[in-house]
Amino acid sequence: MPSQKILLYPHPILKKMARAVETVDDEIKGLLEDLIDTMREGPGSVGVAAPQIGVSLRVCVVDVSNSKLGKENNHGLLALINPEIVERDGEAFMREGCMSVPDYTGDVARSTRVVIRYLNEQGIACELEATGFEAVALQHEMDHLDGVLFLDRIASIKTGLFRRKSYR
Amino acid sequence: MTHCRKENLVHFAVTIISKDRPGIVADVTEVLFRLGCNIEDSSCTMLGGDFAMILIVSHEKPFTKAKLVDEFKELHERTGLVTYVRTLSEAEICPIKEEGELCLISVYGSDQPGIVYRVTRVLADHRVNIADLNTKLIGTVEEPVYVLMLEATLPDGVTIDTVSGLLENLRKELKVEITVRSITPVAL
Repeated sequence: MPSQKILLYPHPILKKMARAVETVDDEIKGLLEDLIDTMREGPGSVGVAAPQIGVSLRVCVVDVSNSKLGKENNHGLLALINPEIVERDGEAFMREGCMSVPDYTGDVARSTRVVIRYLNEQGIACELEATGFEAVALQHEMDHLDGVLFLDRIASIKTGLFRRKSYR
Repeated sequence: MTHCRKENLVHFAVTIISKDRPGIVADVTEVLFRLGCNIEDSSCTMLGGDFAMILIVSHEKPFTKAKLVDEFKELHERTGLVTYVRTLSEAEICPIKEEGELCLISVYGSDQPGIVYRVTRVLADHRVNIADLNTKLIGTVEEPVYVLMLEATLPDGVTIDTVSGLLENLRKELKVEITVRSITPVAL
Protein backbone atom coordinates (compact mmCIF):
# COMPACT_ATOMS: atom_id res chain seq x y z
CA MET A 1 0.00 0.00 0.00
CA PRO A 2 1.31 3.44 -0.79
CA SER A 3 2.31 6.08 1.68
CA GLN A 4 -0.41 8.75 1.81
CA LYS A 5 -0.15 12.50 1.86
CA ILE A 6 -0.45 13.95 5.36
CA LEU A 7 -3.19 16.56 5.56
CA LEU A 8 -2.24 19.84 7.14
CA TYR A 9 -4.33 22.05 9.39
CA PRO A 10 -6.68 23.86 8.51
CA HIS A 11 -8.06 20.84 6.64
CA PRO A 12 -11.52 20.38 8.26
CA ILE A 13 -11.15 16.60 8.78
CA LEU A 14 -8.45 17.27 11.37
CA LYS A 15 -10.96 19.05 13.63
CA LYS A 16 -13.75 16.51 13.19
CA MET A 17 -14.76 13.66 15.53
CA ALA A 18 -13.93 10.44 13.65
CA ARG A 19 -16.52 7.64 13.30
CA ALA A 20 -16.10 4.27 15.03
CA VAL A 21 -15.27 1.29 12.81
CA GLU A 22 -18.18 -1.15 12.66
CA THR A 23 -16.58 -4.09 10.88
CA VAL A 24 -12.91 -4.91 10.58
CA ASP A 25 -12.89 -5.83 6.89
CA ASP A 26 -10.37 -5.70 4.05
CA GLU A 27 -10.93 -1.98 3.65
CA ILE A 28 -9.88 -1.35 7.25
CA LYS A 29 -6.91 -3.68 6.86
CA GLY A 30 -5.88 -1.68 3.77
CA LEU A 31 -6.27 1.55 5.73
CA LEU A 32 -3.99 0.17 8.46
CA GLU A 33 -1.34 -0.70 5.87
CA ASP A 34 -1.57 2.80 4.41
CA LEU A 35 -1.15 4.30 7.87
CA ILE A 36 1.88 2.12 8.63
CA ASP A 37 3.53 3.04 5.32
CA THR A 38 2.78 6.73 5.89
CA MET A 39 4.25 6.58 9.40
CA ARG A 40 7.42 4.92 8.07
CA GLU A 41 7.79 7.68 5.46
CA GLY A 42 7.29 10.53 7.94
CA PRO A 43 10.39 12.38 9.20
CA GLY A 44 11.03 10.58 12.51
CA SER A 45 7.32 9.93 12.91
CA VAL A 46 6.14 7.47 15.57
CA GLY A 47 2.43 7.47 14.76
CA VAL A 48 -0.31 8.43 12.32
CA ALA A 49 -4.06 8.63 12.74
CA ALA A 50 -6.56 7.98 9.93
CA PRO A 51 -7.92 11.57 9.86
CA GLN A 52 -4.40 12.74 9.04
CA ILE A 53 -4.64 10.94 5.70
CA GLY A 54 -8.20 12.09 5.09
CA VAL A 55 -10.14 9.12 6.51
CA SER A 56 -12.46 10.09 9.35
CA LEU A 57 -12.43 6.71 11.12
CA ARG A 58 -11.20 5.75 14.60
CA VAL A 59 -8.03 4.02 13.46
CA CYS A 60 -4.39 4.84 14.21
CA VAL A 61 -0.94 3.28 14.28
CA VAL A 62 1.92 3.84 16.72
CA ASP A 63 5.46 2.48 16.79
CA VAL A 64 8.03 4.07 19.08
CA SER A 65 10.48 1.15 18.93
CA ASN A 66 12.88 2.94 16.57
CA SER A 67 12.94 6.24 18.45
CA LYS A 68 15.55 7.24 21.01
CA LEU A 69 12.96 7.88 23.69
CA GLY A 70 10.86 4.79 23.09
CA LYS A 71 13.23 1.99 22.14
CA GLU A 72 13.67 0.63 25.68
CA ASN A 73 9.98 0.53 26.50
CA ASN A 74 7.43 -0.34 23.82
CA HIS A 75 4.99 -2.84 22.35
CA GLY A 76 6.45 -2.62 18.85
CA LEU A 77 4.08 -1.78 16.03
CA LEU A 78 0.55 -1.12 17.27
CA ALA A 79 -2.42 -1.01 14.90
CA LEU A 80 -5.41 0.26 16.85
CA ILE A 81 -9.07 0.24 15.86
CA ASN A 82 -11.62 2.11 18.01
CA PRO A 83 -9.08 2.67 20.81
CA GLU A 84 -10.20 4.11 24.15
CA ILE A 85 -8.31 5.02 27.27
CA VAL A 86 -9.80 3.15 30.21
CA GLU A 87 -7.25 4.13 32.85
CA ARG A 88 -4.71 6.91 33.13
CA ASP A 89 -2.40 8.36 35.73
CA GLY A 90 0.65 10.55 36.21
CA GLU A 91 1.44 13.73 34.33
CA ALA A 92 4.53 14.93 32.49
CA PHE A 93 5.28 17.59 29.91
CA MET A 94 6.89 16.84 26.60
CA ARG A 95 7.54 19.14 23.68
CA GLU A 96 5.41 17.74 20.88
CA GLY A 97 5.35 18.34 17.17
CA CYS A 98 2.83 17.04 14.66
CA MET A 99 3.12 16.29 10.95
CA SER A 100 -0.25 18.03 10.41
CA VAL A 101 0.94 21.23 12.11
CA PRO A 102 4.42 21.77 10.69
CA ASP A 103 6.86 24.39 11.98
CA TYR A 104 5.50 24.50 15.53
CA THR A 105 6.09 22.53 18.67
CA GLY A 106 4.60 22.99 22.11
CA ASP A 107 4.87 21.63 25.63
CA VAL A 108 1.89 19.39 26.31
CA ALA A 109 0.96 17.66 29.59
CA ARG A 110 0.15 13.97 29.09
CA SER A 111 -0.59 11.05 31.39
CA THR A 112 2.53 9.01 32.02
CA ARG A 113 0.63 5.71 32.11
CA VAL A 114 -2.44 4.71 30.12
CA VAL A 115 -4.44 1.51 29.71
CA ILE A 116 -5.99 1.24 26.26
CA ARG A 117 -8.78 -1.01 25.02
CA TYR A 118 -8.97 -1.51 21.24
CA LEU A 119 -9.57 -3.92 18.40
CA ASN A 120 -6.50 -5.28 16.65
CA GLU A 121 -6.18 -5.82 12.89
CA GLN A 122 -8.04 -9.15 13.22
CA GLY A 123 -10.92 -7.42 15.00
CA ILE A 124 -10.04 -9.05 18.34
CA ALA A 125 -10.62 -7.01 21.49
CA CYS A 126 -7.30 -6.27 23.22
CA GLU A 127 -6.00 -4.25 26.12
CA LEU A 128 -2.52 -2.90 26.76
CA GLU A 129 -0.74 -0.78 29.30
CA ALA A 130 1.70 1.81 27.99
CA THR A 131 4.05 4.14 29.83
CA GLY A 132 6.57 6.84 28.97
CA PHE A 133 6.96 7.98 25.39
CA GLU A 134 4.72 5.23 24.02
CA ALA A 135 1.90 6.49 26.28
CA VAL A 136 2.46 10.05 25.00
CA ALA A 137 2.41 8.91 21.36
CA LEU A 138 -0.80 6.94 21.90
CA GLN A 139 -2.53 9.92 23.52
CA HIS A 140 -1.40 12.23 20.70
CA GLU A 141 -2.70 9.89 17.97
CA MET A 142 -5.95 9.18 19.81
CA ASP A 143 -6.53 12.93 20.16
CA HIS A 144 -6.59 13.07 16.34
CA LEU A 145 -9.59 10.70 16.41
CA ASP A 146 -11.47 13.31 18.48
CA GLY A 147 -10.43 16.23 16.26
CA VAL A 148 -8.03 17.50 18.92
CA LEU A 149 -4.61 18.87 17.96
CA PHE A 150 -1.67 19.39 20.34
CA LEU A 151 -2.32 23.13 19.91
CA ASP A 152 -5.57 22.59 21.82
CA ARG A 153 -3.65 21.22 24.79
CA ILE A 154 -0.84 23.76 25.25
CA ALA A 155 -1.09 25.12 28.76
CA SER A 156 0.98 28.29 28.45
CA ILE A 157 1.56 30.31 25.31
CA LYS A 158 4.52 32.11 26.82
CA THR A 159 6.52 29.00 27.52
CA GLY A 160 4.46 26.43 25.70
CA LEU A 161 4.61 27.31 22.04
CA PHE A 162 7.83 27.31 20.12
CA ARG A 163 8.88 27.38 16.54
CA ARG A 164 10.08 23.96 15.55
CA LYS A 165 13.86 23.77 15.58
CA SER A 166 14.49 20.26 14.28
CA TYR A 167 13.25 16.70 14.16
CA ARG A 168 15.25 14.02 15.95
CA MET B 1 10.77 33.25 10.11
CA THR B 2 8.91 31.35 7.47
CA HIS B 3 7.52 34.41 5.68
CA CYS B 4 10.87 35.52 4.27
CA ARG B 5 10.08 34.03 0.89
CA LYS B 6 7.22 36.49 0.34
CA GLU B 7 8.24 39.20 -2.02
CA ASN B 8 7.35 42.86 -2.13
CA LEU B 9 7.16 43.19 1.65
CA VAL B 10 8.94 45.61 3.94
CA HIS B 11 9.51 44.47 7.54
CA PHE B 12 9.80 46.49 10.75
CA ALA B 13 10.69 45.64 14.33
CA VAL B 14 8.40 47.64 16.62
CA THR B 15 9.24 47.88 20.31
CA ILE B 16 6.64 49.35 22.64
CA ILE B 17 6.75 50.04 26.35
CA SER B 18 3.88 51.45 28.37
CA LYS B 19 2.85 51.70 31.99
CA ASP B 20 0.49 48.77 32.29
CA ARG B 21 -3.25 49.33 31.80
CA PRO B 22 -6.06 47.47 30.03
CA GLY B 23 -6.20 48.19 26.27
CA ILE B 24 -2.53 48.58 25.27
CA VAL B 25 -2.54 45.66 22.82
CA ALA B 26 -5.85 46.77 21.31
CA ASP B 27 -4.58 50.37 20.90
CA VAL B 28 -1.36 49.26 19.23
CA THR B 29 -2.86 46.64 16.95
CA GLU B 30 -5.64 49.04 15.94
CA VAL B 31 -2.98 51.37 14.51
CA LEU B 32 -1.32 48.46 12.68
CA PHE B 33 -4.65 47.17 11.37
CA ARG B 34 -5.66 50.61 10.12
CA LEU B 35 -2.37 50.88 8.22
CA GLY B 36 -2.74 47.41 6.72
CA CYS B 37 0.27 45.95 8.57
CA ASN B 38 0.53 42.23 9.24
CA ILE B 39 1.93 41.01 12.58
CA GLU B 40 4.33 38.21 11.66
CA ASP B 41 5.84 37.51 15.04
CA SER B 42 5.37 38.95 18.49
CA SER B 43 6.20 38.67 22.14
CA CYS B 44 4.31 40.79 24.65
CA THR B 45 4.56 40.54 28.39
CA MET B 46 4.36 42.37 31.68
CA LEU B 47 7.76 43.35 33.05
CA GLY B 48 7.50 44.84 36.50
CA GLY B 49 4.70 47.42 36.20
CA ASP B 50 5.28 48.00 32.50
CA PHE B 51 3.84 46.19 29.56
CA ALA B 52 6.42 45.47 26.84
CA MET B 53 5.71 44.50 23.27
CA ILE B 54 8.07 43.43 20.51
CA LEU B 55 6.43 42.96 17.13
CA ILE B 56 7.74 42.04 13.71
CA VAL B 57 5.32 43.60 11.24
CA SER B 58 5.21 43.59 7.47
CA HIS B 59 3.55 45.79 4.89
CA GLU B 60 3.38 45.69 1.13
CA LYS B 61 5.80 48.04 -0.59
CA PRO B 62 5.85 50.96 -0.94
CA PHE B 63 5.51 51.80 2.74
CA THR B 64 7.75 53.94 4.89
CA LYS B 65 8.97 53.75 8.44
CA ALA B 66 8.03 57.44 8.79
CA LYS B 67 4.38 56.59 8.16
CA LEU B 68 4.44 53.99 10.95
CA VAL B 69 6.21 56.34 13.37
CA ASP B 70 3.74 59.15 12.59
CA GLU B 71 0.73 56.99 13.33
CA PHE B 72 2.15 55.96 16.71
CA LYS B 73 2.81 59.59 17.65
CA GLU B 74 -0.84 60.24 18.39
CA LEU B 75 -0.98 57.19 20.64
CA HIS B 76 2.09 58.42 22.49
CA GLU B 77 0.55 61.86 23.05
CA ARG B 78 -2.74 60.39 24.22
CA THR B 79 -1.46 57.57 26.46
CA GLY B 80 2.25 58.07 27.09
CA LEU B 81 3.12 54.82 25.36
CA VAL B 82 6.66 54.79 23.91
CA THR B 83 7.42 53.26 20.52
CA TYR B 84 10.66 52.51 18.71
CA VAL B 85 10.56 51.39 15.06
CA ARG B 86 13.43 49.85 13.09
CA THR B 87 13.41 48.73 9.45
CA LEU B 88 14.68 45.17 9.04
CA SER B 89 17.16 44.22 6.34
CA GLU B 90 16.60 41.18 4.11
CA ALA B 91 19.23 39.24 6.09
CA GLU B 92 17.41 39.90 9.35
CA ILE B 93 14.11 38.66 7.92
CA CYS B 94 15.64 35.35 6.84
CA PRO B 95 17.95 34.30 9.68
CA ILE B 96 20.03 31.14 9.43
CA LYS B 97 17.99 28.34 10.97
CA GLU B 98 19.60 26.92 14.08
CA GLU B 99 19.92 23.14 13.99
CA GLY B 100 21.10 21.42 17.10
CA GLU B 101 20.01 19.90 20.37
CA LEU B 102 17.67 22.17 22.25
CA CYS B 103 18.01 22.47 26.01
CA LEU B 104 16.35 24.27 28.88
CA ILE B 105 18.65 25.70 31.54
CA SER B 106 17.12 26.74 34.83
CA VAL B 107 19.12 28.69 37.39
CA TYR B 108 17.79 29.80 40.76
CA GLY B 109 19.18 30.97 44.06
CA SER B 110 19.63 33.97 46.38
CA ASP B 111 19.40 37.22 44.47
CA GLN B 112 22.78 38.74 43.61
CA PRO B 113 24.15 40.83 40.76
CA GLY B 114 25.74 38.96 37.87
CA ILE B 115 23.75 35.72 37.60
CA VAL B 116 22.56 36.37 34.02
CA TYR B 117 25.95 37.69 32.92
CA ARG B 118 28.00 34.86 34.40
CA VAL B 119 25.76 32.11 33.00
CA THR B 120 25.35 33.61 29.52
CA ARG B 121 29.08 34.40 29.21
CA VAL B 122 29.94 30.72 29.73
CA LEU B 123 27.35 29.75 27.11
CA ALA B 124 28.52 32.40 24.63
CA ASP B 125 32.15 31.30 24.98
CA HIS B 126 31.08 27.82 23.84
CA ARG B 127 28.86 29.07 20.98
CA VAL B 128 25.65 27.99 22.71
CA ASN B 129 22.89 30.08 21.14
CA ILE B 130 20.14 31.47 23.40
CA ALA B 131 16.69 31.44 21.81
CA ASP B 132 14.60 32.52 24.78
CA LEU B 133 15.39 33.93 28.21
CA ASN B 134 13.20 34.97 31.12
CA THR B 135 14.08 36.07 34.61
CA LYS B 136 11.91 36.70 37.65
CA LEU B 137 12.53 37.83 41.18
CA ILE B 138 10.47 35.69 43.55
CA GLY B 139 10.55 34.80 47.25
CA THR B 140 10.20 37.40 49.99
CA VAL B 141 11.57 40.91 50.52
CA GLU B 142 13.91 39.55 53.19
CA GLU B 143 15.00 36.59 51.12
CA PRO B 144 14.63 37.34 47.42
CA VAL B 145 15.19 34.43 45.05
CA TYR B 146 16.29 35.00 41.49
CA VAL B 147 15.01 32.65 38.78
CA LEU B 148 16.53 32.47 35.29
CA MET B 149 15.10 30.18 32.63
CA LEU B 150 16.65 30.00 29.22
CA GLU B 151 16.29 27.91 26.13
CA ALA B 152 19.35 27.35 23.99
CA THR B 153 20.60 25.46 20.95
CA LEU B 154 23.79 23.46 21.38
CA PRO B 155 26.39 23.51 18.59
CA ASP B 156 27.85 20.25 17.25
CA GLY B 157 30.11 18.56 19.76
CA VAL B 158 28.50 20.20 22.79
CA THR B 159 26.16 17.95 24.78
CA ILE B 160 23.80 18.48 27.71
CA ASP B 161 26.49 16.95 29.95
CA THR B 162 29.14 19.30 28.54
CA VAL B 163 26.99 22.34 29.35
CA SER B 164 26.17 21.01 32.79
CA GLY B 165 29.89 20.51 33.41
CA LEU B 166 30.76 23.99 32.16
CA LEU B 167 28.29 25.53 34.61
CA GLU B 168 29.49 23.40 37.56
CA ASN B 169 31.97 26.01 38.80
CA LEU B 170 29.32 28.74 38.71
CA ARG B 171 26.96 26.53 40.67
CA LYS B 172 29.47 26.48 43.54
CA GLU B 173 30.71 30.03 43.19
CA LEU B 174 27.31 31.73 43.03
CA LYS B 175 25.67 29.15 45.32
CA VAL B 176 22.77 28.66 42.90
CA GLU B 177 20.98 25.61 41.57
CA ILE B 178 21.54 24.92 37.88
CA THR B 179 19.70 22.27 35.88
CA VAL B 180 20.28 21.55 32.20
CA ARG B 181 17.79 19.29 30.44
CA SER B 182 17.03 18.32 26.89
CA ILE B 183 13.76 19.56 25.43
CA THR B 184 14.30 18.38 21.91
CA PRO B 185 10.86 18.13 20.31
CA VAL B 186 9.34 14.75 19.50
CA ALA B 187 7.68 14.24 16.12
CA LEU B 188 4.29 12.55 16.44
